[in-house]
Amino acid sequence: MWRNRTRSLVVITSITIGIFAGVFAVGLMNGTIEQRVDAALNQEMAHIQVNREQFRENFEINLTINNADSVSKLILRNEDVTGVAQRLLVNAIANTASKSVGIQLNGIDPEAEKKILSLDKTLIPGTGSYFEDPGRHNLAYIGQDLAKDLNIIRFSLDEAAIDSLASGGIPPETLSKLDILVNKQFPGEKAFSKEVQAALSRTEVKKYGADIMKRAWHFRDRSKITMTFLDKNLMQTGAMFRIAGIYDVNNSVFEKSQVFILRTDLERLTGIDANSCHQILVKVNDRDEALPLAKKLRTEMPGLQVESWKEISPDLAMMVLMVQKFNGVFLLIILAALSFGIVNTMLMVVLERTKELGMLTAIGMNKRRVFSMIMAESVFLSLVGGVAGMVISRLFIISVASKGISISSVSEGFEAMGFSSHIYPSISGTFFITVTILIIITGILSAIYPAIKALKLDPADALRTE
Amino acid sequence: MKVLELRNVHKIYNSSEVKVHAVNGVSIDFDEGEFAAIVGPSGSGKTTLLNMIGGLDQPTEGEIIVNKVNLAAYKSSQLIDFRMKNIGFVFQSYNLIPVLTAAENVEFIMNLQKWPKKEREERTMELLKAVGLGDRANSRPSKLSGGQQQRVAVARALASKPRFILADEPTANLDSKSTETLIEIMENLNREENITFIFSTHDARVVKRARRVITIEDGKVLSDERKN
Repeated sequence: MWRNRTRSLVVITSITIGIFAGVFAVGLMNGTIEQRVDAALNQEMAHIQVNREQFRENFEINLTINNADSVSKLILRNEDVTGVAQRLLVNAIANTASKSVGIQLNGIDPEAEKKILSLDKTLIPGTGSYFEDPGRHNLAYIGQDLAKDLNIIRFSLDEAAIDSLASGGIPPETLSKLDILVNKQFPGEKAFSKEVQAALSRTEVKKYGADIMKRAWHFRDRSKITMTFLDKNLMQTGAMFRIAGIYDVNNSVFEKSQVFILRTDLERLTGIDANSCHQILVKVNDRDEALPLAKKLRTEMPGLQVESWKEISPDLAMMVLMVQKFNGVFLLIILAALSFGIVNTMLMVVLERTKELGMLTAIGMNKRRVFSMIMAESVFLSLVGGVAGMVISRLFIISVASKGISISSVSEGFEAMGFSSHIYPSISGTFFITVTILIIITGILSAIYPAIKALKLDPADALRTE
Repeated sequence: MKVLELRNVHKIYNSSEVKVHAVNGVSIDFDEGEFAAIVGPSGSGKTTLLNMIGGLDQPTEGEIIVNKVNLAAYKSSQLIDFRMKNIGFVFQSYNLIPVLTAAENVEFIMNLQKWPKKEREERTMELLKAVGLGDRANSRPSKLSGGQQQRVAVARALASKPRFILADEPTANLDSKSTETLIEIMENLNREENITFIFSTHDARVVKRARRVITIEDGKVLSDERKN
């Protein structure tokens, strides 16, 4: 095995690097998708949604689920269900002094929502709270991108922001270029970023742009939005809402369109009675249980539309499926490369040791032993390289997973698609075990051809080789 | 007592354009305990003849009978077994396994035969002492001289207590002192253990010590001379 140390080490190292690169790429891909799915299920839609039939298509205000509490109790009887939350939903126009934007108003019960979703944890610090002002009415919890669209967020660099950027490692020569912007107010992100780009070089923007935008971000306190929508009699109604807090879910579309207010406020303004709702969100233990449970609930609750997350968002389900297929393809490429490497190396070994193999056969080593000898060497190479690659990737993923990898330079595009620009690579234990087993199998299969070559050597011919 | 008979043995190699008659109708017998040299110039068919006697190669025509059994009757796996139990090979270029020590090289064939560890170790040391290398048991081949390596090869050939030792130009790469030592060792083993030695050579020093000299040329036996 160690007769040609350099070659064995090169083979083991290349297997290790190949596997590490492949596994890490899979981890990165998995992490991205898992984060997206996790965000979608835990912040945006839950696992199952129950509506009156036709509600999703028409968004008709009077298509409510009556006796919502009894329906909720019926759903909670299933042991896989961990919680439910009722919502009222209406389309609305959000207005500020300068802008109007079409949005969807979600009338929620914050305590019930906290049990099944983590939207409360996406609050941007310093922007308020998640409905924690007891007794206050007409509060709205809005997304960061909607706040930008409605000019609720302003951009300005004050002295404190400059100090903070300096302590964050931005060099003084770069900061001095920003002097012209200090204490100026910019109504929107675009106007501010245009000025920053004009003041700094392209490299500086790429390197420090994200940090500067973050520090210049200011929430206009006591901002108010007027929301107008139809009541249950289809009469226009509305009210002025104070911003309770601003959330950031790394999903522009969601942030721009989803506004959360107290269900009691929406009941009062639309006239919908307290025991009715438009939607019941259901959370289950395991997301894969959602589809069978939705099917079961459909039979138990005729007249209601029960859909699992895979049915509500087929693109998300497809993405999960696609990533599994990609993982398969990646794995196939890694294993094919491994296989070619092993075949090549072992053929070299057989060629190099032709005379020795001839001698061994001559003195009485039988074919089974010659075969096993070549096989054992190949399995050893792939096992050592493969396991080392797996261990290194595992350790690297664990070390990176705690802090994540930031790809802030493409954050805008990523967030527009609903993906976080901070990726936490993840790999499942099953994937690790499967890959390790497949590496061993590949090592064994790849050695068969060279081992057969060794078996076919004629001892007399082999002994004649120089 | 006859232990090996060659009857009208031919070996023809078909290369792309010409047929090479490497062994051409050789008929010779060997008795147990012989110390015989097959001599002849390069390309005369010595190695081919030894390979066929050792079951490494099959004759194109004719019969090789060992202990009254025609080797042609053996399947490939039976031939391997036959070689392991009956024949010890000594090659011109020693062919020791470079990563194993002298003792491990000698032990190798006993390992294949699944000898108990204690017996294996005793036999190995006995053989290494017999070839004068008792103190080099743990040396790798690269640390041994050519003559010492060839002595390890002889010890390895004897390990499984074979009936024959077939040595193909065993002294070709050795100096005169090493050659002398090796021949003495082989003579002693031949005398003491009654093992039949057949070696191919064109080394006059070996020919002088052989008790039987078979001269071949162009694949044919020119003379078969026994010394008293």
